[in-house]
Parts: sequence; C-alpha cells; structure tokens
Amino acid sequence: MKKRLPNQIPAVQKQPALIRTENLSFDYEKKQSEPLINDVSFSLEEGEVTLLTGASGSGKSTISLCLNGLYPEAVEGYAEGTVYYRGEDISRFEKGVLNQKIGIVFQDPESQFCMVTVENELAFTMENLKVPRKVMAERMDAVLEVTGLTEVKYRAIHELSGGQKQKVALASVLLMEPELLILDEPTANLDPVSSLEFIQLVTKLQQERKMAVLVIEHQLDDWMPYIHRVLALNKHGKLIADGPRDNVFTEYKETLTEEGIHLPKAIQKNTQKLGGQTPQFLEPALSISNLSFKRKDRTILEDLTMTLHKGEFVAVAGENGAGKSTLLQLMAGILSPHKGTITFQDAPLKKWREEELRKHMGFVFQNPEHQFITDTVYDELSFGMKLNGTPEEEMKEKVTELLGHFQLEGHRWNNPFSLSGGQKRRLSVATMLDETPDVLLFDEPTFGQDAKTTDELMSIVLDLKAKGTTIVFVTHDMDLIDQYCETVFVLDKGNLAFSGTPEQLWDKESLLKQARLRLPYRVRQLKEEGDVYDLVR
Amino acid sequence: MISSVNPAVKMVAIIIPGVLLSFSFDIFTPLTYLIFIVAFTFLFSSIPVKKWLLVFTPFVFLALGFAWMTTLYTSDSFSGGRVLFEFWWFEITTGGVMVGISLALRSLCFVALSLMFILTTDSTKFMLSLMQQFKLPPKLTYGILAGYRFLPTFKHEFEVLRQAHRIRGVGRAKGVKGRLRQFRRYAIPLMANAIRKAERVAIAMESKGFTGSHDRTHYHHMSVGKKDWVFFASIVGTFFLVVFTSYQLGYLNIFGRQF
Repeated sequence: MKKRLPNQIPAVQKQPALIRTENLSFDYEKKQSEPLINDVSFSLEEGEVTLLTGASGSGKSTISLCLNGLYPEAVEGYAEGTVYYRGEDISRFEKGVLNQKIGIVFQDPESQFCMVTVENELAFTMENLKVPRKVMAERMDAVLEVTGLTEVKYRAIHELSGGQKQKVALASVLLMEPELLILDEPTANLDPVSSLEFIQLVTKLQQERKMAVLVIEHQLDDWMPYIHRVLALNKHGKLIADGPRDNVFTEYKETLTEEGIHLPKAIQKNTQKLGGQTPQFLEPALSISNLSFKRKDRTILEDLTMTLHKGEFVAVAGENGAGKSTLLQLMAGILSPHKGTITFQDAPLKKWREEELRKHMGFVFQNPEHQFITDTVYDELSFGMKLNGTPEEEMKEKVTELLGHFQLEGHRWNNPFSLSGGQKRRLSVATMLDETPDVLLFDEPTFGQDAKTTDELMSIVLDLKAKGTTIVFVTHDMDLIDQYCETVFVLDKGNLAFSGTPEQLWDKESLLKQARLRLPYRVRQLKEEGDVYDLVR
Repeated sequence: MISSVNPAVKMVAIIIPGVLLSFSFDIFTPLTYLIFIVAFTFLFSSIPVKKWLLVFTPFVFLALGFAWMTTLYTSDSFSGGRVLFEFWWFEITTGGVMVGISLALRSLCFVALSLMFILTTDSTKFMLSLMQQFKLPPKLTYGILAGYRFLPTFKHEFEVLRQAHRIRGVGRAKGVKGRLRQFRRYAIPLMANAIRKAERVAIAMESKGFTGSHDRTHYHHMSVGKKDWVFFASIVGTFFLVVFTSYQLGYLNIFGRQF
C-alpha cells in the first residue's frame, strides 16, 4: 500500500485568512488572572485541514464555539480579543448568519439533535437557513446520497447506530454548505470501523469541496495523512505550538508529551508489546458456562462459555451493541442470566452474599460521576470501609494512602463532582480499592481521555494485576488491547466469535472485519512494511 | 381520516366539548356523546381496537370508583329523590346514583376524546402546527421537541445509576429518611447530566443556525383546509346536537337545574 501524502499546503494568499483570532481570551466566569483560554492568536486558512490538540480540559471545545460567535453570548462568559471571519470582526455579524458558514459536529451522538427522525432533523437545518420549501427535498436527497444515509431517511435517529448518528450530524451541517467544518472529537463514541468510515467520509468531502476543516481529536493516527497544520493548547489555555504537521510533532515532541497530549503512533517509539511471552494462567477466577441473556424477547447474548484467570488482563471487544456492556454487568452480578451459570471462586455468583461479592469484585463505570454517592472525596473513599465496619484509625490510614497513590491529596474535602475529568476517573477507580479486589471490571475506561490520564490509569491497573487481580476491559481501543492485554474475547451479535491472545486475533482478518474491529497501528505498520518488502523482492 | 386532520384544529375541536361537558349532570347527554365519540374514533381512524381497549379499560375502573364515591357523598343539592337503600350511616338516593353515573360517563368522554387525539397525532406535527397555526414561539416548540427526545435516555441513565450505586454497596433504602437521602443521591447526578445535555443540544441547535425567530421556512407546511373544518363541525356540532336533543327530551341537567 502506498502512503498517502497530504495535499500541498495552499500558498500564502494576499486575501485575509478564513478565520483569524487575535489575543483571544475566554472564561465562563468573570475576568480572572488566568482565564480558561489565555491570549490565543492563530489563523485558519481556506481549504486547509488543521488539527487542534491539547490535554483534557485545555479548552479545545470552548475555542471552537468562540469561533462561530456562540460564545461568550450563550454562556454569559467573559471574552477579550477579536475573532475575524475573512477579515471582518465576527461580533458585527447578525445572529445566526455566521453559524451557517461554520458547521460543527459534536462528540456526543445523543445530544446534538432536536427532532425525532432523520428527515425532520435535516429539514430543521434548512428551515433555519430559510431554504425555500420547493428545493428542500432535492437538497435533502442529495446530502443523504453523499453521506450514504438514503436508506435511513425516514428512520428515528435514536434507533440508528453511533456511526450513523454522527453521519446524520455531518449531513445536517453539510446542508449549510459551510466554509469551515469543525469536528469536536466526532469519533470518540464509535467502534473502530465506524470511526474509520467517518474519517474517510470527511476527508473525501474535504478534498471534493475544498472546505477548511478544524479537527479536535485525541486519537490522531487515522487523521494524520490528511492534516496540514497542527495547533496545540496547554493546560493553561495557551497556544504552545502552531505549524505544519511534521514540524510540530518533531520540534515540540517533548513539550507535547509533558502536557499529556497523545502523539501520533508514527512518532512514538514505544508501541512495542509489553512483556513478550504470554504467561500461563492456571488458576481460574471467574468462569462462565452456556450463558444466555435476553431483554424483552431480544437475545442479547447467546450461549457464551469462557474462563478468566487470576492475574489475567482480559479485553472484551466488538461492535457497538454487540452485548459487551451487558456481559460485564452479568459478570458483576448486577444482571442475572436467563440460562447458564457464572462461577466466581468456586461458588455460583447467585450464591454469593451481596456484601461479600462487592468486597471481592469491583466495577468502574464509563461515566465516573455515576459512582459518586457522597459529598467529599474523603467520604467517597471511606464509604466502603464504613460499611464493612473498619476501625477509624485503620480507615484514616488507608484513605491517606489511597489519596497519595491516586494524587488526590489536595482534594480531600472537595466535592467529587467538582474534580477535573482525569481526577474523577482516578477517584472512581480508587473507590473500588479499599480492599484489593480479585476481579476488577472496567467499562470503556479510556474513552475521551488524554494521554496522561490514560497512562496514569494503565499504571494503576498494571499494579493491581501484579498483585493478582483479574482485569477486564470493555474497549474499542485496539492499540491498548495490543499493548497490554493477554486475552481477547470478541463478541459479534451476542455470540462469542473469538477467544485467544491478541496476536492470534490479528491473524483473523475476516473475523475482524465482521466484528467491525481493526488491526492495531503496530500490526498495520508491520503489514505495510511486509508488503513493501514483498514488492522489492 | 382523523390522523390527517390538522393537529391544532383537532385540539380545539376536542377541548370545546370537553370543557362544556363538565356542566351537564344528567346521564343522557354524556352517554350519547360517548357512543358518538367511540363510533367516530373507530370509523375514521385505523387505531387497533385491542390497543384502544388496553388504554381505555383502566379508566373504566377509575370512573366506576369516581361514581361510587360521588354516590356515597353526593352534595345535598343533588341528593334528592327516593331512598334506594341504607347501610351504616349512608343513604343511597336516586339523585345520588344519577350524579354518580353521570360523572363516570363524563370522565369516560374525556378519556375517549383524549385517546382520539393522542392515538392519531404525531408529536412533531402537533408542535409544528402549534407553531404555524397558533404562532407559538419556535424557541418553545423546538425546545419541547428536543426535550421529548430525552425521555428514553433519562430512563437508561437512571438504570445505570442504580447499578453503579449497588456496586458501591448502597443497599435498598429503608424508611422515609433513607429514601429521601437516596432520592438526593440520584437527583444530583441525574440533574447535572440533564443540564449538561440540555446545554449541548441548545448549542448544537444554535450552531445549525437556529435563532428562535419566526422568520423561517417550513418543510412540513401545516395547512388548515376543508377537511379540518368538517372534522371540527362534526365533533363540536354533534355535541350541540346531543345537548339540544337532551333538552327536547327533558333530560338536560346543568349544574343540578333541570331544563
């Protein structure tokens, strides 16, 4: 396969940039000494694909909403500096006009629509633009064709898959014929193949229509061939890098790593597999036999049999809606199977007393906020121990230890809801560790996290694994599976399609395709090199 | 077909007899009108009888309950007539029974009218029609539509929250105090998420050029035509016809005054 090279960067033009920000500062509160976005100046050129990157909470999404003039007005925030659209100050535009030149696709597929069906949602955009009714149908059909959604025109949006929902979001934005398309982590919720399909669709459209694109993204690899320029923000909302793609990732490599920003895999050197030889696991921790689960006559899982061992790192992968989360909930005993048994440490799960089971098994939810039940970080960490009747002294000691280990010392008396994203994630794991659990289950723990948070989480997890805890990850991240996991279970439409080591899985191409999974970057790279080598020979 | 009638017109056509009916205290008027509404519903819509009965039946029991209570506790001005029977300290009079049955029939009329509306009206079209016919502000109507989409996700989120708390070892709450505390524990994250989602949807709508102004084109043009007026005339007209017949036959009773 030939590597794609990006288009030539358009030559410097005399006319003003499509978007130019000058000393832009913004905060949701009143003026502060260090606002969320701090004195940022950059420009976006026509027809150019720009990547905006930065650690979680660095204000990437906020900037994008400043560009189309929705902020500061929509949140009554404070702003300083100027944003120019083709050389004209955006505050001079009438309400709603600029929004049509700049289209945004947001991260969460659930909360960017206001109508029930695809047809009505697309109509909503056109009605806002005051498109005459006569031409609406024609334009709608055209955009459905381009995005490959013709078949789902009359369907309800909530019945569609995540990938289709994001395409609907893209379609409704394309109806505005925007000159700048902003994509705010559009593929974070999608399975690997849907994610790739979305990226390919966008880049194809970009090349056809020559619109400018601003991508906000943590997972860079699939975008890399198409990106012309990179902007990076640091934690204090300052612009720390602005330049052509290759320059930024080589020149600023150290700074970006320090900031906890994901680097493209092509530049990282340490994507080798950890460990090497897969150890032998003998002692079973949790075994499942002939498990089936139904929800209102619909079979979610059918006849699954698998064994998880002590100290094993297991991944559960598969397409959205394949039943991964359900399987995890069954393992945790918060759902009961219709058929089959789950055995946890020699006893069937349903024979376990609830309190005992919770001491031996932990579960970390996708949204950490769901797990918080008290008003302070301290209470949150001591909650389980209080239930177990741990003596006061021992409890204090243990909480202090956990606070230290998870870098939450300074937040002892803060409300869990007021923590940053990474801190919330750490706390949600810490609450499960008042006693070292035998099995710890994670539902998409790395989703939407920056590199630093992910690395921190992984080091905690590996620590636990070394102590003999069985780790189960439900994840879409194939690179993570490749790097850390010893065993993979692939679910495809409720059936166990594969169980074995990641290495074995990477050989089964048709299976990967069917389950909408992809090869990890490392293996793709190896195959590419292999192909080149074959050609040379 | 009722489902193709303009929703705004349909709403008015149903509210008028609904309100006026509450003044009639005889049996003949609501009974006749109820028969008409049920017949009309099945003649001019494709609602499956089974589905209709499934929603309607519980209300029959509720109406019977109302009737029984009213019969027992009829106010003095209505409880005239012969004493039918007595038990404990209750006296059941013919007047009381009449008022009770009338109330039951009136309630069933409301239910039948509401079902005719709900089961034949698309919520999106209803909102669009309120906006186009009654000039309700788009901000309000699209806001309601966006909120409507949230209901299923809200339920899902509640489910997840319950599971998450169970994992943490929070047992089922006991006593009033425990329940109150549990409610608070659920309410905060649910509200926090709902507000965040609402904000996101609002931003998404604005970024698609929505300004809330009336100056917009319409993909579904909600018109009011001949068919809508025919529907209006049938529902409202028949009501007055029934009242008139009832008056002619000497049954009509408005607030206890016989005509």
